[in-house]
This record gives sequence, C-alpha cells and structure tokens, in this order.
Amino acid sequence: MTNNITQRDAFWNRVYEMAKVNRNIVIVSADMGAPSMDRIRRDLAAQFVNVGIAEQNAILIASGLALKGKRVFVYAIAPFITLRCLEEIRVQNGLMKIPLTIVGVGAGLGYEDSGPTHHLIEDIAIMRALPYITIHSVTDSTMAVAVAEMSCSMKTTNYVRLERKKLPDVYQPGADFSAGLSVLQESKDYYIISTGNMTHRALEIAAQLNRTKHQIGVIDVHTLPINGELLVSTVKGAKRIVTLEEHFLMGGMGSAVCEVLADRQLLIPVKRIGMSSAKGYCYEYGGREAIRKYYGIDKESVAKTVVDFFK
Amino acid sequence: MNKLVSKLEKKSFEIRKRVLDICVKAKTGHVTSSMSCIDVLVALYYGGILRFDPKKPEWENRDRFILSKGQASPALYTVLADCGFYGCEELDKFAQKGGMFGVHLQYDVPGVEITSGSLGQAFGVAAGIALGAKMDKELFLTIALLGDGECYEGSIWETAMFAGHNRLNNFVAIVDRNYMCATDFTEDLLALEPMTDKWSAFGWEVKRINGHSFEQILESLSDIRSRRSDRPVVIIADTVKGEGIDCICNIPLWHGIAPEGEMAEMCKTVLKGRYIDLEEKNNDK
Repeated sequence: MTNNITQRDAFWNRVYEMAKVNRNIVIVSADMGAPSMDRIRRDLAAQFVNVGIAEQNAILIASGLALKGKRVFVYAIAPFITLRCLEEIRVQNGLMKIPLTIVGVGAGLGYEDSGPTHHLIEDIAIMRALPYITIHSVTDSTMAVAVAEMSCSMKTTNYVRLERKKLPDVYQPGADFSAGLSVLQESKDYYIISTGNMTHRALEIAAQLNRTKHQIGVIDVHTLPINGELLVSTVKGAKRIVTLEEHFLMGGMGSAVCEVLADRQLLIPVKRIGMSSAKGYCYEYGGREAIRKYYGIDKESVAKTVVDFFK
Repeated sequence: MNKLVSKLEKKSFEIRKRVLDICVKAKTGHVTSSMSCIDVLVALYYGGILRFDPKKPEWENRDRFILSKGQASPALYTVLADCGFYGCEELDKFAQKGGMFGVHLQYDVPGVEITSGSLGQAFGVAAGIALGAKMDKELFLTIALLGDGECYEGSIWETAMFAGHNRLNNFVAIVDRNYMCATDFTEDLLALEPMTDKWSAFGWEVKRINGHSFEQILESLSDIRSRRSDRPVVIIADTVKGEGIDCICNIPLWHGIAPEGEMAEMCKTVLKGRYIDLEEKNNDK
C-alpha cells in the first residue's frame, strides 16, 4: 500500500528497488533530498550524482549520461528543474530527443509557505509546448509508483510533476495508466476534468453534488499530450464540462482539453476553473487553501462555480 | 614532427579554402568563427589525436568530440566529409535546400555527436558523457571545443566546477580563445581574463598555447591518454578570429556572415596568398 506516503517517497522507493537490480539507472539530483533519497545516496552511491544547486547543469549532465546509455532520473524542486532549464530541455530532450525522466516536486501550490518563487503554476503550459516531452501530472502515490516503472521504458523524455503533500490514494495498486487519462466516474451529462491534486477536489465536489440532483462524471487527465480520442469518446454527448486545475488558466490542462474539443469540432460548453494570470503571483500565507481562495479555487468557490455552471 | 606539421598545415589550408567556398556559395555561415578553430580541428582529426572510424560513426570506443561552439559547424562538416564520414558533395549543399546540414551543428550528421548552437550546453553534455564513461570504466576520451564567447554562459562554469570536483580526467576542454564575440572584443565588452586562473580555480589542469601552431597544439595533446593527473585538462588556445583571411580578421561584427561579391574574391585571394607564403616557408626549410 502506498497510503500515508508522499508521491515523492513512493516514486523514489520504487526507483530504489529498480536501481538495485539495474545498475544502468542513474539519479542526478540538484541537491534535492527526501527520506527515500537518503537510501539511494547510501546504498547506491555509484549511481547517484549530486550536481549542487545547478539545475541547468543537472539537465546537461543527465543528458550526457543518457547519451552514454544510462537510464537517468533528474531530480529537483519542480519550478527550477522545468522553467529555469527550459531551453536546455528544449535542445537536449526536444531537439535531440535524448530520453530523461525529469522529476519535480511541488506541483501547484505544494510549497504553500515558501512564496511564489516555489509555486509551480505554469509548468503544464510551458512543458507541453515542447515536442517529445510527456507530462505525468501525478494524482496519488499509486500512480507515482506506476510512473516510476513506466519511466524505465520510455523512448523520449517524461516530466513527472509530483505533489509535495500527502494525499489519499485514488487508485488501487496495479491500476493501468497507459490510456493517459482515467474516467473515475461516468456521467451522461456533466463532467469535471481535472489533473493532479485537483482530482481529489473534483471527486469531493462530484460526491457532494451527486447527493443532490446531478450525476457528475470525473475524468483524471494525468498524462499530456491528452489522449484526445479517449477524451472525446468519453464526453461526447455531455451537456457541460468543467476543467479544474491548480495552475494558471493560460495554456494549462483546461486549455489542452479545449484544444482537443475544438480540433474535433465537438461543441460542448466548457468552463475552465484555475488561476487567472490577471491575479498575478500570490504572496499570501496561512495555508494552501488561503492561496487557493485568493485565486478563487478554494473548495467553496469551486463548488459554487460548478453548481452555477451545471444548473 | 616537421613532416607531420607540414602535412597538417597543408590540410588546414585545404579545409579553410573549402569552408570559405561553401559559405560563400550558401551566402551564410560563421566564416571567421570557423577559421579560428580549424587548426585545432585539423590537429585532432589528422594529427593522430582522436580515435574514430568514418565507416562506423557509432563505434562505441570512439572518442567523443563535442563541438560546443556549434556555429563553427562549416569547419567540422568539412573535416568530417574529408575524413570520409559522408561524401564531399554534401558540402556544396551546405545550408541549402536538400542539404543535410545548416549553419549550426546537428546531431544526425554522421560523425557529429550533438546538436549545438545554443551556447553553454554541449560542454555539460560532454561532461555527462565523460562521467558515464568513468562509471562504465571505458577508456575513450571526451573532448569538447568551446568558444571563448561561450564562456560568458553561466552553465559553462557549473559544468567546469562539476568536472573538476568529480575528477573527470578523461575529459578535455579546448577553448578557442579568439578574443572576440559578435559585437566587440571580449576584453572590452566584459573581460574573460585571467582565463588560466579561472579554470585552475575550478580544479582543472590548464595549458595555454598558440592555437595556430601545430607544434604547440600537438604538444599540448600529446599526453592526453597518459596523464598522471586526476584532473580534467583545459587547453586555452589563443587564436585569431578569421585566421588565414587577414582582410576579415579581428573586425568586430564580422561574425556569422559570409563574404559576398568582390569581398568574397578578395578573401579567396588573401587566403591563397597565405598558402603561397607557407609553401615558400616550407621550401626554405
């Protein structure tokens, strides 16, 4: 069971097990730790490389190791290993298709008390603009384990965005994530499409509304680019869709959903719920929910928006 | 040695001439940036330094040569064609429709390891390859050629620190120190000196040579497989941007362009003149 363990520890525990029997696996860290990482550093020292707080070099060293045939995991705080290294990733992993697994911790507002330098609310928009990069927006620790395993057979780069806080498991061990999205609840009329930690919120709200009058479906988009065929076949015939993410609205998962629908001329009204860039960055403290409130994605605001839209 | 040096000088002239021709024909290409590092490339590829097999570009024991200053691609493309990695006719299609390569280096050309052009990146990738070779206890060398202007990129120093700390003594850097960037002389726009002290402080063994003297280039590389040092080595090669074509040497803004029309003819004449001088020098010996 992976309950009561963070996505990060679930992920690295699995990598540890795999790296013990596959000496070709190398972990490059930009001075980023974890209880699970301590074991890797101690027991697998020859497969562990610390580049210091130098994320650009982490991507470059990792890419060189991958060219040498290593299966490389690169690890840092999520905004730094993505946004700071965007151009390195573009050249090494986009232009040259060198396969890495880029692991970032702190998706969304996970580093709630650290201020906006550590909030990660643009990465889906930015990383999905790059060809040959698969985004795994991880929902729970069970999925984190599955993604760790999947990473070892990827031919191109994947970016694994992990939630920092412990979350309950949504999925059963052994769940299959290969379809790229999971239909957690079906509905004829209304769907909430969510990603990452917001899938937990989507399930809460759906449960709340299902007790009243609506049957709300929930789709967890955990892999981008989105599996458009599956998404369309699932929501075809639905009356309304809400997308939900802890991310700026511009270019995020909700935008990606709208692109899928628009390109297939599927005309379903969509309401995107996320963070407006007009609100800028947030220097509020006092917990994640307070920051979410600033952006209008706290539980109460989301529920109200969903209810209004599904009226 | 003298015979080898004469051979290399002659080869160097041929490569320079071809690089100028293909860039003039394509009306593009970094002519001056190529000229400054051609002697180093010729020493590496024809002076018995690099281990490679044009028939098997992916040979796993080959030395990894990483041209981090990817704008000098016309020079490397010409050398690779001349060494037999692909036909010389490809050079005539440089940066043109139907050609296999353009102005910046690209990884899918036989004999080329990486795409570069975005400066400050390939050096780090090279260090990763060298580290991988150490992990696998392999004996090939990784040799990276950097531009001096590229050394303004912070990532160069992230990598330099990493390679020094990790004792990558299978890693060689050569800095093409031509003292110029695109718009100005390096020491005027933002001083890079003292280069020797900087690299030394980052844990590297440093050699400083005249990058247009084959005697000095070969001497500096003569022990790269038998050094007793556990440190990576950097060779700072003092060069001239545009070397061989005096009429475009050391002129700010003569960067990233190819001469056209009368200027192109003048460049060809000047280059030829240098070779006649060279022949006379060799005949006098």
